Order: sequence, then structure tokens, then C-alpha cells
Amino acid sequence: MELKYIFLMRTEREHLLPMMRNAQWVEVVGRDAIYKEFLFKDFNQAFGFMSRVALQAEKMDHHPEWFNVYNKVQITLSTHECGGLSQRDITLATFIDQASVL
Amino acid sequence: MEVGEKRRAGGERSSQLSALQEQLVWSLLGSGLSKELLIQAMGELERERALAGAERMDRADGESSEEGDMDYPPPIFRELERLPPEEAARQRAEVDQLLQEDPWHVAKMIKTYMQQHNLPQREVVESTGLNQSHLSQHLNKGTPMKNQKRAALYSWYVKKQAEISQQFTNASRGVVSGEESVDDVRKGRRNRFKWGPASQQILFQAYERQKNPSKEEREGLVEECNRAECLQRGVSPSQLAGLGSNLVTEVRVYNWFANRRKEEAFRHKLALDVPYSSQSAPLTGQTLPSSTSLVLKYSQPVVCESLGTVRSSSGEDRGRLASPVHLEPSHTLLDTHHHKPASGGGSLPPVSTLTSLHGASGSSAAPPGLIMASLPSVMSLGDSSLFIGLTSSQPQTVINNVGGGFTTLQPISFQQQLHTSPQKPIVQQLQSHIGPSSFMATMTQLPCHMYSKADLNSYPSSGLLSQAMVIADSNSIGTLTNLTAVRQILTSDPEDHAETPIEEESLHLQPTSPEPVSSGSLDIYPQTQTNETHPSHLLSSPPGDIDPYIPTQMISTAQ
Repeated sequence: MELKYIFLMRTEREHLLPMMRNAQWVEVVGRDAIYKEFLFKDFNQAFGFMSRVALQAEKMDHHPEWFNVYNKVQITLSTHECGGLSQRDITLATFIDQASVL
Repeated sequence: MEVGEKRRAGGERSSQLSALQEQLVWSLLGSGLSKELLIQAMGELERERALAGAERMDRADGESSEEGDMDYPPPIFRELERLPPEEAARQRAEVDQLLQEDPWHVAKMIKTYMQQHNLPQREVVESTGLNQSHLSQHLNKGTPMKNQKRAALYSWYVKKQAEISQQFTNASRGVVSGEESVDDVRKGRRNRFKWGPASQQILFQAYERQKNPSKEEREGLVEECNRAECLQRGVSPSQLAGLGSNLVTEVRVYNWFANRRKEEAFRHKLALDVPYSSQSAPLTGQTLPSSTSLVLKYSQPVVCESLGTVRSSSGEDRGRLASPVHLEPSHTLLDTHHHKPASGGGSLPPVSTLTSLHGASGSSAAPPGLIMASLPSVMSLGDSSLFIGLTSSQPQTVINNVGGGFTTLQPISFQQQLHTSPQKPIVQQLQSHIGPSSFMATMTQLPCHMYSKADLNSYPSSGLLSQAMVIADSNSIGTLTNLTAVRQILTSDPEDHAETPIEEESLHLQPTSPEPVSSGSLDIYPQTQTNETHPSHLLSSPPGDIDPYIPTQMISTAQ
């Protein structure tokens, strides 16, 4: 588990970040994090999505920073322990993408 | 619309659920939970809830209620951190193992853990329902505890360990455990803060450097203390949240310094108060100069004689003492006299007075006679010794009192005793400075007038008498023979409130300290005035031996 806390290495970044960008994950200005916004049909869907993400986050022991208003969910992913991106962020981002289309 | 969609997607499950509930159920199912597992978990959860509620009402058992609370959300979310069923099983196994071990060993372990993390017993009592007295005795003295109660204690212990380690790991992640809030509510918001020994050490050192630290300095101390506390608990200094209720903050440091300053002011105030009340012999001081010379001369020979005769262990000390006695008789008397009023204060605050005593003793050289007499007093309180000399009568009494060691002397021969005893006690006093408290006690009681039998007995420190007593007790005899010291004590004798008026006659041998020493010495020298007073002092002297002697002596000397 400690490995996941490791800062994302430059080489890995070069490989992974383009994938993220393709999935509309934006790099935040001023900090080492990725951000994405989701829009759902209504609040229930949005919250259902958040619930799924929440369960997964608990399982992974890695929690997102997010904001929700009605059907919109804004998520920022970063790792506190290493002060930036780590493998867990990437993993969670992938899962979030999967959950959002369910 | 979406509800309809959900229905289609969810199938039969969506019939009676709201849209959100459907979403949530769907999320659960999507997270890897199977239908059977979900239904099972729901049943468990409901049972645990009921059980937790009942138990909480029954005995406020931390473990069960906490588990119930923790299981509340968890059963649904299997992936939750603590996986309550597993964790609970693990803790139960650990408790069982502890129950097999030697109860005393486990008690010691728990006690050290509580000391390490500064946990109050009250917390244990609240969450286990044990009796606090019983718990305290079990942990400290090994009083037996029934198995069921021990099980409760060990359960608390295991749970607390898990809690604290979680606190520390969460601290690094900046998360506050949910169980914390549950505990808080139950304990009425956190335990009372308590200073750990490591922090206190740091604070005392800082206090010596500066009594009034600025905010920046306080903040620095906060960091230092928290680091020390973490190290004491064996965790990395960066995990502050693990300290919980014992986290050091600037406010706490500020309060600590304020309280120390107040304490010191109070002690100082006490020191000032005591001499004031005991100043009874200032009048005699005037007569001292004239009489002192006489007295001194007289005392010198006597002293010498007594020195020879005195068998006490401090024998050599006494001899030495005698010589300095000859020195500066008159002025020392005066000095001592002056000192007496000043010194009065220190009876109570042991530390401060003690130090002052030491300082005072050096100031004046009591006349030989005084020295002799004051020796006993000196012994107990550097300053008081001076007084002994001044208060002719008192020193004698003091001497008698000194007796733990001196009492033996007294029987020997009153006169000799008187001579010697003062010497010994004084010497002893000087040397030993036995305990600040003992000194203090004697010092305060210097005013011989004040002394009464009862007083002396009850309050060992009552001036010279007590001093003498103290000295004797403390075995200062060995420490004697600092003539200089004695002299200093005699002269300085600030504590010696007993500035019993040093009558001319009595002066010669009587050290400033009114009571303790003088009683003995008084007998030797005709002390008309002091005699009356002395007997009372003598009586008060602690050692019972003195009493019989004193009266007799007094009588004889009265003539």
C-alpha cells in the first residue's frame, strides 16, 4: 500500500497523463492534481454516482476532493501524503470514469 | 424519468424505493456486494443496533456500544476501515489471551500504557463501569479483580490501543476517526488535559530561563512539548492528533507559566508572613551588644568545656564551633538580632526559605555564646541558629530539643548538656541543612515566646526547638562542624523569628533562636528572664527527654 503513496514519477507521468487528458481530466494550475467535472441527469443519479465512488474510495483508502450541486459533481484528485499525484489517483480516476457511465 | 430507468435497470428491487434509495442500493450492489450478502448484512446490522442500544442503556459498556455504533454504517460498507466483525473478533481474541496471562503483569502493562499516553483513570471507569478505587488498587497494588471485570478492563485496553494507533495514523492523513466523536459525546467532550512528565521538564527548564515567555517562545515550547510527548509514546513527532486530549497548545503553556508565577508569588508572600508573626524578640537585641561581650566570654570557656565533655558524634564539630564562637560576639549578636526579624518569613515555603536561610547564615557571626546556643537552631535552619544565640533562653531550649541526638546529651548533665547541645545542634544544623523542610520548620518557630509545648510538638519547625529537633532527627550531627557555617547561621538566622529578646544573662549562651537551643544553654547561664520563657519552650521541644530536663534545669538556672 505504501507504494501507492509514492509520487508519480516523471516517466510514469509522461505515460499516464496523456491518457487522463484524453478522458477529460485536466491538470490543476498551481498544484499537482487532476480535475474533472461530471454532469448527470438529476440529483439522484449524481448522488448515486457519488455513492459508488465513495464506496470505492473507502475500499482504496483514498478519497477525492469533490463538490456537488444538484446534478453536477466536480472532482479533484491528489494524494496528501506525497503532496501530489500518485498511482492511487490514477486508479481512482479510472474507476470514476467507469462509474460515471454506469 | 430516471426513476423509471432505474426501475428497468434495477428490476424488481426498485418497486418501493425512492429514486435516491435505488441509486444507493445500486451503488452498493455495484461495489461488489451480492444480494445475499447485502441482506445478511442488513440483518446483522439491525441486530447489532438493537444490541448496542440495549447494552448502552445497561452498562454503558464502551466496547459493545462502540461496536454497535461502528457497525451501524459498516455492515453495508464491507470495505470500511475497521471491518468491524473482523476487528471485533480480533479484539476479543486478544482479550482472551490477556485473561490467560498473569493479572499482575497485564495490570502493569496497562498502567504503563496509561502513563505513557497520559490517560486518566476516569476514562476507564466511565467506559467499563468498574469501580475507580478498585481499578486503582488493581493497577497499582495488584488487588485481585474478578475475571469478568478484568475482561472489561482488557477490552477497553485493546480498544483504546486500536483507537490511539488509528488516531495516529489518521493524524498523518489529517482524518479524524468517527469513533472519536462517539467517545467525545459519551465523555462529555474529551478528557481533561494533563501535563506529561516530559513536557513538564521542558517547561521547568524554560521557566528557569525566563518566567514570562513571549508568544513566539510559547509557540516554540508548544512544539517542543508535543514532540517530546509523541516520542514518549513512541510515535513520530508529526502525528499530533494522536495525543488527543493531551495535546499541548499555546494557551496551555501560557496558563502553565501563569500558574507557576502565581505559585511563586504565593510562596514569597508566605515567607514574608511568617517572620512577621514571629518577631517577638526584637527588643532584646539592644541589650545584646553589651551582654554579648560578657556572654561571649562566659560562653567561650563554657563552650570549650562543654565541647570537651560533649560526647556527641559531633564532638569535633563542637570544638570547632567553639572557637568561632569567640569571634565577633557583639556585633554578631546585633546582626543576628536584626536578622531574626527578617528571617521570620520562611517557615512554610520550604525551598525558598531554605535557600534564604543558607544565605542568611553567612551574614552575621553570632557571638560565641550565641553560637553555642544557636547551634541547635542553626542546625535546623541556618538562620535560626543565629537567633538561638540571641535568645538566651531559647537556645537552650533548642538544644534540648535538638535532641534526637541531643536528647541523649541532655541527661548527661544539664550544664554540660546545655553547652554541648547547642554546639552540636548548631553544628549539625550548619552542616546538614538537612532538609529544607526541617529547617524551615525550626526557623519559623524561632520566636521563643511563641513556642509552647504544644506548638513545638505539633509543629516541629517551631523555631529553634523544632530546629534542634529536626536536626537531631535528621542526623545532622555528622554534618556539623562548620564553624563558619555555624557562625553564619547564627548571624544570619533570618528565619529565626524567635528573636527572643536576648537577655543579657541569657544571651551569652543562648543563640538567637529562641527556643530550641536555648533551653539547654539557658540552664547553664543564669538567665533570669529567659528562664520563664524557656521552660515553656523546653517543654515544647519535641523530644520528651527534654521536658524532664528542662524544667529542672530551668529551675536551677532561675536562680
